[in-house]
Amino acid sequence: MNANLPVAATITGVRSLTADTTLFTLTCNDRAAAGKVASFLPGQFLELSLPGIGEIPVSYCGLPSAEGTIELCIRHLGHVTSPLHRATPGDAVGVRGPFGHGFPLDSYENQDLLLIAGGLGMAPLRSLLLALLEQRRRWGELTLLYGAREMGALLFLEELQQLALRSDITIQLAVDRRTHCLEGPPGCRVALLPALLEQLTIRVERTCAALCGPPVVYPYLVSGLKRIGLSDERIHLSLERHMKCGLGRCGHCAVGTLLCCCDGPVFSHARLRGIEGALA
Amino acid sequence: MSVHFITANRLPQLLHLLRQRGELHAPLRGADGVVRFAPLAAGTLPELDALRTLLPPKIYLLPPRETILTYRDDTNYQEPQVTTFPLILFGLHPCDLAGIGYLDRIFLGEDPDPVYAARRSSLTLIGTNCTPDQFCSCHLQPSPLSASHDLFLQRIDDGFAVSSGSPGGDELLETLAELIEERELAADDTRRFFGSQLKQPPQSELDPYLLDWQELAGHCLGCGACSICCPTCYCFDVLEFGGLDGRSAERLRHWDNCLFKSHAQVAGGASFQKDRAQRFRYRYRHKYRGFGQLKGIPSCVGCGRCREACLAGLDLRPLAERLERGVS
Repeated sequence: MNANLPVAATITGVRSLTADTTLFTLTCNDRAAAGKVASFLPGQFLELSLPGIGEIPVSYCGLPSAEGTIELCIRHLGHVTSPLHRATPGDAVGVRGPFGHGFPLDSYENQDLLLIAGGLGMAPLRSLLLALLEQRRRWGELTLLYGAREMGALLFLEELQQLALRSDITIQLAVDRRTHCLEGPPGCRVALLPALLEQLTIRVERTCAALCGPPVVYPYLVSGLKRIGLSDERIHLSLERHMKCGLGRCGHCAVGTLLCCCDGPVFSHARLRGIEGALA
Repeated sequence: MSVHFITANRLPQLLHLLRQRGELHAPLRGADGVVRFAPLAAGTLPELDALRTLLPPKIYLLPPRETILTYRDDTNYQEPQVTTFPLILFGLHPCDLAGIGYLDRIFLGEDPDPVYAARRSSLTLIGTNCTPDQFCSCHLQPSPLSASHDLFLQRIDDGFAVSSGSPGGDELLETLAELIEERELAADDTRRFFGSQLKQPPQSELDPYLLDWQELAGHCLGCGACSICCPTCYCFDVLEFGGLDGRSAERLRHWDNCLFKSHAQVAGGASFQKDRAQRFRYRYRHKYRGFGQLKGIPSCVGCGRCREACLAGLDLRPLAERLERGVS
């Protein structure tokens, strides 16, 4: 099997989340291939091909599915994602994956979990959140801190507000700045993520943190978590790099001497410690 | 020690026999004075004394630009038809053979790359020894990689001691039987420079912080010549071109260069290697530390091309030696 070769998939759903971000639902055309590409661990990624345009790495955003349905949350920013803005149900794409290592669910057993998402980082963490909720009893307390730059940029807002009604999860939403037109939904504050972190009470000896956000926020979050008392081994972050092949060959996703595509994209902070430029 | 031996005056016959088995390429000096691998026409002798070709033999395995997938809307993405023909590379030096050995590890390991594999299987590698010059470091700092070859011609006195390094080489040796005589050699006469083994560089994740990064990178022009001429530089970009019919496309693999700003760029223009010093250090890590599954395996084979090509006269080797000694 040629690992470079995408399998055919069709866009079956297009849901605009914000002005520049869309949730796509894809379905693999071939059932046998679907089993492989749609079986993943939250935090892993796939390579999405738009014929004639190119291929990009994208995190899985939903739950693994035996039917080969894949959810991808995409911001229209790059040379492949911008044309995807015009994609409609029925359009053909290609997918290959899953690649890399996801969040270490097995080591989360019986632990309190603190998910911290910034901006588009909510996409892979939604996958993790849904997976955690699916087997809710395996974990201790569940907390999600999610910050975006403004109200209109909060992804999956309705879904998260619904989830916030549950008693077995705490969800805190925050925006960097207030915008003129919108009142904040209940529970949404104007604050930066590190500030939310400071007001949090957690049991450090049994808490694991899963982070995904823009590089700029990582140093603040990591130092915030360490100040609370969390050890490097208990902090996992998903790093952004341009994984062009997914197979450890193209050389674009190196973090120190680690490769984001094969060793990551989810790393424990213990593994990244001391690697200059790893976080931001 | 008894060895298979071919006297130098039989070289034309040897080349003639090899030519029966495929297209023969060897180092040739062009009219421009540049030595490069090129088809060896009948009656021409290869430039065996030239130390290094401008471009390494990786061009036979990883052309600067090649199609890795084709797309048509009725068939989706497909593997391209790679047409290969038997190709014999004659006169490869041990460093270049080691370079091919390294590329094999990258592209023929887990999930072998079919395009590379097709090209590789059509190659016959015939090596020969050489004498290092001031740019070479195979004798000082060779790669722990083994040189992969089918035949090796060790130049000794009036001819070549011939040894085989693969089943294909054994078979080839049989077809050369008429040229081969047996000769006694002193057992320690191994005048070929595979060099001594490099001590493994330090394996810690941390590079000692050296001012040298800034200082060396300050001289670097960022031209990327060192990477282009490197026998083990394989970083590639992936490009896709849509056909004008709107129904087809081609996906290409294209040499990339870690000294270019675009190398670590992500969508939106952010880059994880904004400074030249960071890119320079990336190159050092790749050459002397190795990445991912080849972490810990230095990929510098000591061919000296980068040192010769560098317009600023930069040399990563002293840095590697300093780091190896733990001096910061």
